[in-house]
Formats: sequence, structure tokens, C-alpha cells
Amino acid sequence: MLCVNNLYKKYKNAETPSVNDLSFTFEKGKIIGLLGPNGAGKTTTISILCGLINQFEGDVKVLGYDIRTQANIIRGIVSVVPQQIALYPTLSCYENLLYYGKLYNINASKLKETIHQYLDDFGLKDHLHKQIKHYSGGMKRRANIIASLLNHPHLLILDEPTAGVDVHSRSMILHFLKQYNAAGNSVIYTSHLLEEAETICDEVLIIDNGKKIVQGSPEALITQYQTNNLENVFIKLTGNQVRD
Amino acid sequence: MRRDLGGFALLFLMPILLIIIMALVQDGPFKDYKDRKFETLFLNLDQGKVAASIKKSLIASEQFTIIETLNGKSLEEAHVVKAIQAGKYQFAIIMKKGISAEIVNSGNIIANQIGKKIGINAQLPHRESRDSIAIELMFDPVSKPAMKIAITNAVERFMQKVQSEIVLDRIASLSPNTEKDTSFDFEKILHQVGVKEVSSQPKNEMQSKMNSVQHNVPAWAIFGMFFMIIIISESIINERLSGSWTRIKLIPGNFSHILMGKLMFFVLLGIVQFYLMLLVGVYVMPLIGLDALQLSDSPLLLFILVSSISCCATAYGILIGILFNSSNQALPVAAISVVILSAIGGVWVPIEVLPNVLKSISLISPMRWGLEGINNVLLRQCSFTDIIKPCVVLLSGSAITLSLAWLIEKKK
Repeated sequence: MLCVNNLYKKYKNAETPSVNDLSFTFEKGKIIGLLGPNGAGKTTTISILCGLINQFEGDVKVLGYDIRTQANIIRGIVSVVPQQIALYPTLSCYENLLYYGKLYNINASKLKETIHQYLDDFGLKDHLHKQIKHYSGGMKRRANIIASLLNHPHLLILDEPTAGVDVHSRSMILHFLKQYNAAGNSVIYTSHLLEEAETICDEVLIIDNGKKIVQGSPEALITQYQTNNLENVFIKLTGNQVRD
Repeated sequence: MRRDLGGFALLFLMPILLIIIMALVQDGPFKDYKDRKFETLFLNLDQGKVAASIKKSLIASEQFTIIETLNGKSLEEAHVVKAIQAGKYQFAIIMKKGISAEIVNSGNIIANQIGKKIGINAQLPHRESRDSIAIELMFDPVSKPAMKIAITNAVERFMQKVQSEIVLDRIASLSPNTEKDTSFDFEKILHQVGVKEVSSQPKNEMQSKMNSVQHNVPAWAIFGMFFMIIIISESIINERLSGSWTRIKLIPGNFSHILMGKLMFFVLLGIVQFYLMLLVGVYVMPLIGLDALQLSDSPLLLFILVSSISCCATAYGILIGILFNSSNQALPVAAISVVILSAIGGVWVPIEVLPNVLKSISLISPMRWGLEGINNVLLRQCSFTDIIKPCVVLLSGSAITLSLAWLIEKKK
């Protein structure tokens, strides 16, 4: 599903590369956790995987398509949920979803049906006409995810989808991701909440300083590094130093 | 848009307020001096025929209100200086003692010379002429040069008339037996040939007149369209900061199509704003005592021009929005650049009065081209060929600006 070989990206004026000779592969239909301390290169990797950054070295294939030459196809079947609430605050949730859906050229009646289905799944159907700016933090996060699901992506990439949300919203989001994965779709998600990653991910990739540190299932890594949870594996591999 | 009706209304109300205020403020400077009436301190130290004639001419012109007393007291030179320095009056005319005698003396010298040439031996009494005597004009130090010139010319004209009358009178006096011919209207004969302003436009066309409204409404409406770049750039920056920009970029298809969609919306908004300003010029300005804006009978030409201006303003707003990473960076640049472009583009004052160096620099201001095109349509009643140049410049500017924005965004 995902094949990355010798990925290298150095931003202009940066002293060190953000991604440095990174290689990994993942099979289709899994929930993958992309983990790493601040500045490890997670966001750059995600940006390359979805075609947002096109100046890089190495080979990247997403769902069998080459990101350099087939980015437009990939954009149609891959969606990204950005860390920020990428919605218009003065529009209602419904208007936001209609707007983004129309940009995808989705048939109007099908789009409305999809929107209502997801609003129901994410517990927002009673608030569909409320302006986003009046939503709680958790509601905004859920609406933000729906906006990335409208094109029914085969691969959903989420950048810290549960950061700063209440327990119920987090539970709802994680439950949905499992369901979505169970339907045969793939999920890549980044998070600093390692307990959450341990629960939900089939496999994790820990990177630091743009390089791959380790890859494997949470259970296997816990056994391999002889710790009792993924957080301890993470600290063991990336150190105790605080990263800003 | 409907979620922020207040902001949307302000988008139109603020430019309306701006054009009304600017048209009122600039109404005075735009009025011809012949349309204005001046309160004139008239200090008559001469008390002779010439001073009386000039005073009579000043009153007859209906441009001057002659003031010869202040607080019930006759004027004295010290009063005049004090009143002018205090800025209570814009100027004073001081008829120095001996002016009449000097002009009569000059008339006698001229009459004697003419009489000699045509064989009249009589001589009128005279002495050598003096050049130190003059009608003095004292201006408020803040008076504009243009006003000083206008007043000086008017007084000189009145003086020349009096001088001519005196010379003729003196020539007649050379022959004491000749009775004065009252049927001889010297002034009427001289005015057989005069100076008259004629229009460059065909007689059946509307005669447009440059005035405060005719300059300020289109000029500030263009300024308002360009000021929208603040809204455009802020909208783009907010979208980028919120992640919506990224989300849109990740949607399959050509990102430039979405950019064009945004461009079209703001172009339309700019056009609507401009026409609203024109309506204010036509219907609101007369209600506050100003002239009504005269529109052209070429609505299509006006629309083409307005669309080009709006296109250029929107493209500039997009460039600013893409170039800068935060509103704190973009807003000062946007606001100040628009003010600079308007200043050199002839919005504040007509290009003709700018220094030569600014006239050359003004070629880079899209507002200059916009205003030139609008003046071509509204005032000069020009044809399509006359708006091609401004339109091409504006649309080329839009294309260059958008391409630049596209390249920067791609690089980012």
C-alpha cells in the first residue's frame, strides 16, 4: 500500500534535513502510527505522502501510484486531516462540508447523503447548521475529520486528530477509525498520545531526526525492548531529552 | 458573506463615506476662482480717480466683497496687516497714495507722444514718471500660489482698463475744443474680439466639466477597489493559517481553477462596489450641495474598464496574501502600498500637478491607468480604441501579478 525508499528532504536554509534516507513499507488495510518527537519529520513525511511537497529525493508509491507522476490520482483516493481546524469558522458545519464536497465534484444528492451519514456517525447531526466558530473543540475536530472523508478515501492520513479533545470526542474518533479500517481502508495517523497509539495501531513507525528508528507492531516492540508499554519503548529509543 | 453582514455592509459603507468626505474636502480647491467670492480689505490711501475706478470694477465683477471698515473704524495700514496675519482675510488691496496722479501723469506722457506723432502741438502737463509706486496686494501667508495669480491677474486687468480709459481721455484732452463723444463705447469695441472657452467634444455630446465630484468619485472608488486587497490578502492568509488552503490544495484538479474562482468573486465584488460609488456620485452628492456625477453614454466601455481595474486590484490582493505569512506582515504592506499607488496614481491630486519625477513613476501605478481610462470615458467621451491602452496595461499587470503569486505559492 505504501512504499517509501530513500526519502530525503531538506528545506531551504535548514541546517539539517527534515527527512533523511527514510525507507519503509506498509501493507494495505492497516492502522499505522507514525510516531516521533517534535521535529522528527512526521509532518514533512505526511506532506510528501499526500503530494503537498513535491521537491524531494527518493521514491514514494502510495496505493500503487507514484507520487511524482500520479499525484492527482493519489489526491482522489487519499485524504489528509490537518492538525488545524481547516474549516471556515463563519460557515455552518453543513455549509463547510457542502463546499469541500463540491470541490471534489461529488454528485449533489450523493454528497448530501454522505454528509448526513457522517454527521450521524460523529454525533453532529443536531448541530449541522451551527457555525463552526460556535462548536466546542471536540466538535470542531470531528467536523474536521468529516471534511476529509467526503471523497471516501482509501487511505486516510490524520495529523494528531485527538490533540486537545475531550474524552468522549476522542473515544468517538478512535471508534470511527477502527470501523473505517474494518471496512478495508488504511489509516496513517500521528500522535503524541502513545497509549492511544498502542491501543489503535496495527503497526507503528518511530522516526527521529528524519530517520527511521524502528517499525513493528506495538506488542512486538514492547516485547523486543522489554518494557511494559509503547511509551517506554519510545523514550528508550528517542531519549529523555525534551524536544521543542 | 451573509454570516458577516456587518462586515459586508462596511465594505461598501466605508468607501461611500470616503468619497463623500473627499468630494466635500476637495470641493473648494476644485472650484474655479471665478466661481468664488473673496472678502477683500480695500485700503484706499490714494482717494483719487484711479482707486475709485478700480474699486468700482472690483464690485462690478461680483467676485469681491469690498471691506473698507473694521469694527466701525476706517481701515489703516496697521489694521490690514494685523487682519491678514491673523488669517481673518485672505488678501488686501492697498491703493498707495499718488497712484491716480501717477497714472494720469503716465497718460499725459503717452498722449503727448501720440499727439506729437500725429501733428498736434499741444502738450499736457507732465513730469518724469516714477516706477516705485504700485498697487499693493497683501496675501495671507497660507494662500495658494494659484489663488495669488488669479487675484493678481484680476487686479491687473482692472488697472489696465482704467489706464486705457485715462490714456484715451488724455488724448482727447490734447484738443481742448473737441467735445467728448459719448457715443464712443471704448470697452464695447475692445470686446469685439475676446477670449472664449470652447468644448473639444461634439455639440450634441454631453458637456462634462471637471469638478470635485467628477474627480473624486471615480478616483476614490478606484482607491476603494484597491483597498479591498486588505480583505483579499487577509482571507488568503486566514485560509492558509487555518489549513483550509492546504485542504483545498489536496483536492484533485487544478489548484489554479480554485484560485480563478476566488479571483472572480472578488472581481465581481469590486465591480459592485464601484457602481455603488457611482450611484452615490449621481444621487447623493447633489443632496449635500455638490455637483452630480456625470456618467458617460458608453456603459459598456465603463464596464470593461471597471472590470479590468477590479481584476488588477484582486490579483494584487492575491499576491500580497500569498507573499506574506501573517496578517501582521501583509496588512501594513497592503495598506501603505495602496496609499502610495493612489498618491502617485493621481487619486489625491491630478497627475498634472505632480512633480516630473513622480509623473514618470506614476506609470507603475494601476490606479493611474484606471483613472486615466475612467476620465477618457466619463470626461473625454472617448471611443473603444482610447480605453484599449489602459485596459491592456491593467490586464497585463493582473496576469503578471497572478503568475508571480502562482510561482511563489508553488515554491512554498
